[in-house]
Amino acid sequence: MRWNFWTLVAAFTWGLLLLLLFLPVGSVLLGGFYDAQGDATFANYQRLLTEPRFQRAFLNTLVVGFGGMFGALLLGSIMAFCLSRFEIRGSRFVSLMAILALVSPPFIGAYSWIVLFGANGLVRRGLRDVGVSIPPIYGLAGILMVFAFKFYPYVYLMVSGALGNVNRSLEEAAESLGLTPWQRVRKISFPLVFPALSAGGLLALIHAIADFGTPQLLGRGYNVLATEAYTLYSAEVGSNMSMATAISVALILLSMIFVLLQRYLSRRNVYHGNLINKPVKIRLSGWRNALAHAAVYLIGFCGALPVIISAIYSFRKTRGPVFQPGFGLQSYERILYNLGDVVRNSLVFSVSAVALIVAAGTLIGVLVARRTNLNTSLLDGAFMIPYVMPGIVIGIAYVSVFNGPPLALTGTALIIVLSIFIRRLPYAVRTTSTALRQISPSLEEAAISLGYSPFRSFLKVTVPLILPGVIAGAMLSFVTAINELSSSLVLYVGRTITMPVRIYQLILDGDFGTAAALSSLLLVISGIAVYAAFRFMGRDERSLL
Amino acid sequence: MAYLDVVRARKEFAGFTALQDVSLNVERGEFFTLLGPSGCGKTTLLRALAGFNDLTSGEIRLDGEDLRRIPPHKRDIGMVFQDYAVFPHLSVFDNVAFGLKPRKVAPAEIRARVGEALEKVRLGHLAERLPAAMSGGQQQRIGIARAIVIRPRLLLMDEPLSNLDAKLRVELREEIRALQKQIDIAAIYVTHDQEEALAISDRICVMNAGRIEQIGTPQEIYGDPQTRFVAEFVGTLNRLEPSPALESDLSHLGLKAPRATLWAVRPERLRLLPPQEAEEASEKEAVVLGRVEQFTYLGREAHVRLATDLGPLVAQIADPGLIAAFAPGEAARAAIPRDALMAFDAAGARVKLEG
Ligand SMILES: Nc1ncnc2c1ncn2[C@@H]1O[C@H](COP(=O)(O)OP(=O)(O)OP(=O)(O)O)[C@@H](O)[C@H]1O
Ligand SMILES: [Mg+2]
Repeated sequence: MRWNFWTLVAAFTWGLLLLLLFLPVGSVLLGGFYDAQGDATFANYQRLLTEPRFQRAFLNTLVVGFGGMFGALLLGSIMAFCLSRFEIRGSRFVSLMAILALVSPPFIGAYSWIVLFGANGLVRRGLRDVGVSIPPIYGLAGILMVFAFKFYPYVYLMVSGALGNVNRSLEEAAESLGLTPWQRVRKISFPLVFPALSAGGLLALIHAIADFGTPQLLGRGYNVLATEAYTLYSAEVGSNMSMATAISVALILLSMIFVLLQRYLSRRNVYHGNLINKPVKIRLSGWRNALAHAAVYLIGFCGALPVIISAIYSFRKTRGPVFQPGFGLQSYERILYNLGDVVRNSLVFSVSAVALIVAAGTLIGVLVARRTNLNTSLLDGAFMIPYVMPGIVIGIAYVSVFNGPPLALTGTALIIVLSIFIRRLPYAVRTTSTALRQISPSLEEAAISLGYSPFRSFLKVTVPLILPGVIAGAMLSFVTAINELSSSLVLYVGRTITMPVRIYQLILDGDFGTAAALSSLLLVISGIAVYAAFRFMGRDERSLL
Repeated sequence: MAYLDVVRARKEFAGFTALQDVSLNVERGEFFTLLGPSGCGKTTLLRALAGFNDLTSGEIRLDGEDLRRIPPHKRDIGMVFQDYAVFPHLSVFDNVAFGLKPRKVAPAEIRARVGEALEKVRLGHLAERLPAAMSGGQQQRIGIARAIVIRPRLLLMDEPLSNLDAKLRVELREEIRALQKQIDIAAIYVTHDQEEALAISDRICVMNAGRIEQIGTPQEIYGDPQTRFVAEFVGTLNRLEPSPALESDLSHLGLKAPRATLWAVRPERLRLLPPQEAEEASEKEAVVLGRVEQFTYLGREAHVRLATDLGPLVAQIADPGLIAAFAPGEAARAAIPRDALMAFDAAGARVKLEG
């Protein structure tokens, strides 16, 4: 192999992965095999397997993972099916609500449901006044409900894309062959959307397993692996780092298994439909129409409810942390006077992370798309790893590796930026490489034959063509970066606190007004970024996944 | 020494030889075509000339200069691509002007030269448009204008017409041919369409599996193929397997070729004789008897498939008009002119006929 610019990029990429991914993850893997004194031991894994508390956490993780997944699959498929096959009034508005649910800041979902259905919740109180008593939302039921409404957009966006691509001729052919509508769905449509369905379900599952805020707030003793890892790590007294890493390993393995399983299940099911005959939307009438509209709007509304609640609560009058009757701007004033640096931190960290992501992601994306050989397909594989890493695990891994010389990064802003960077980098690489694969290499060759050096050809021809996609990708990375909670929660110190971390603390402290205002601010910032992204590449909700 | 010399060019990909000892030369102003089936190495050779992939070994000299030592962007070679490779973010004008910028041409001259190039490909009126919405033919015209405006030392075209519909293909290939003569440039053109190759080339190089089969003028390639591959790839062949019937016909014609394992004759050289008239066979022709199996009418020609003692034979009738029609089962006779017979040896090389 000749040493040229791209060899350097490849070397740089491997270095980056080694330092920011393999090293921390490796140390987590190994860390689980040491006890607090630094002696090698299997005790941590033994505890994990035998101690009832961890057994329960393990089981609970599976329960919330699959429960959340099934909830999301149910709601998402209904939504996707109705919106892509029936004429629904205001369907753009409904899918906007799905986007709101997707980009709504973490925790706010759980908190809003508490506001409505908690021990003293609005809805619960209202129902009690008319004599209906329902249990408070805490525990498993609450977690599952929140997950279903928070993660259904993954399924909805994936499946509606696939349903929109099912060639109607296929269904017509099945019809002409005498299949009943039900057989048609089972034999034709279902296999065709299965890859999308399973991919969406997988996203919901992985996020549900990794989510730590919701069980923390709503669980009330319902422990999962993510909360256990965080508790062990953050305990003031007797913090047990090696046990926390052992749990992290279990979390990584779980996510990995499900990713591989999904790939295996949909391995044969890659269909490239030709879209000569696009599906048409049926106009329903009567009670069917009402039912479809009700289902779609109910799901959309419940998904967007956290956002709505926090927007309303952010404008409620408060005195200290206590709500007063009427409306006011005190919560926002508090942000202005006390939390300016938190907002600034969030913006600075996210913008720096995104800048790094764009620079590195574009270079690596070019490498993966254009210089295809064994080396780069390995790289492609390595980039799957951050994808399945729960944020809390990355956080714990970074703390345990970058804790002392030669790389003492704990407590710096850099460590937070890097943790966001590595988790989001795979998406940027994928965006760029997909965009590049759609640009014929002969364009660059044309420029070369016209007298431009390879590098200048890249700058003059390829960069302008992928720029809109890169900018849009950057905006979406920004949305995830600024909403990132779980790794920052492990990595922050007083100086480097970010908006999601502060929201979490505010909720724990009972200062709901300020939390709502901060969340609303976060949502507005995210909304602007999403809007900008859609401006650059057209409204394509699936790019949010 | 010729203008362009390729000497014993060899290209190996991992475990696969795409070019084996390819040598050829092209003169100034010549239209030279590489013709061959898919995968025979045409693109590989062309890209080696352009510099996009280097040869494993061999020499390329252009105007006496060793081309392999020059990086692709300094070679001054114009290239036209199969997928047009028109820059979608630039207007037609800017696409064509693109190659003049690194050459530091003054703005006024750029305008003049681009205008002239666009006129040559008849796109003058579309200069300010973006190419995205243009037809394939128009996009390829942009590609051609962009390649010639830099006044390259060599013009390479890799199947530039294969994505266009049949009618446009004929139209544009004539334009390309005229343009090449007008600007008097050495051009290398790749195609796997034999008719296209015959129509526009000064010389054709037929390639097969990384090797050159034959280089020659269109007449030589079609009328005097040197290998069985060339004869079959360019035009069609009736294959005559050795048989007693063939032996007797050959001896009637006084032809011998001891090493021949295959005899062949082109369908358009067979002459169908009216079945009734007992025309006396001259010694310049062998007459075979048979039955019509199938009649295919194609408008400007028709094909008649006969079952004969020599095996199945297809005869081509030019200008069949309204009357010619052959019913299956009908008896028929065909004459094979003596000079229409070709013989090939076991290795596929043409065998000289004796007698
Ligand atoms: N980068 C490569 N790596 C390995 N093999 C290659 C590579 N490029 C081309 N080949 C092989 O070399 C052979 C010649 O390819 P080439 O593209 O030159 O064929 P071609 O004559 O242009 O065919 P076509 O008419 O289909 O364009 C093919 O068998 C191809 O598979
Ligand atoms: Mg080719």
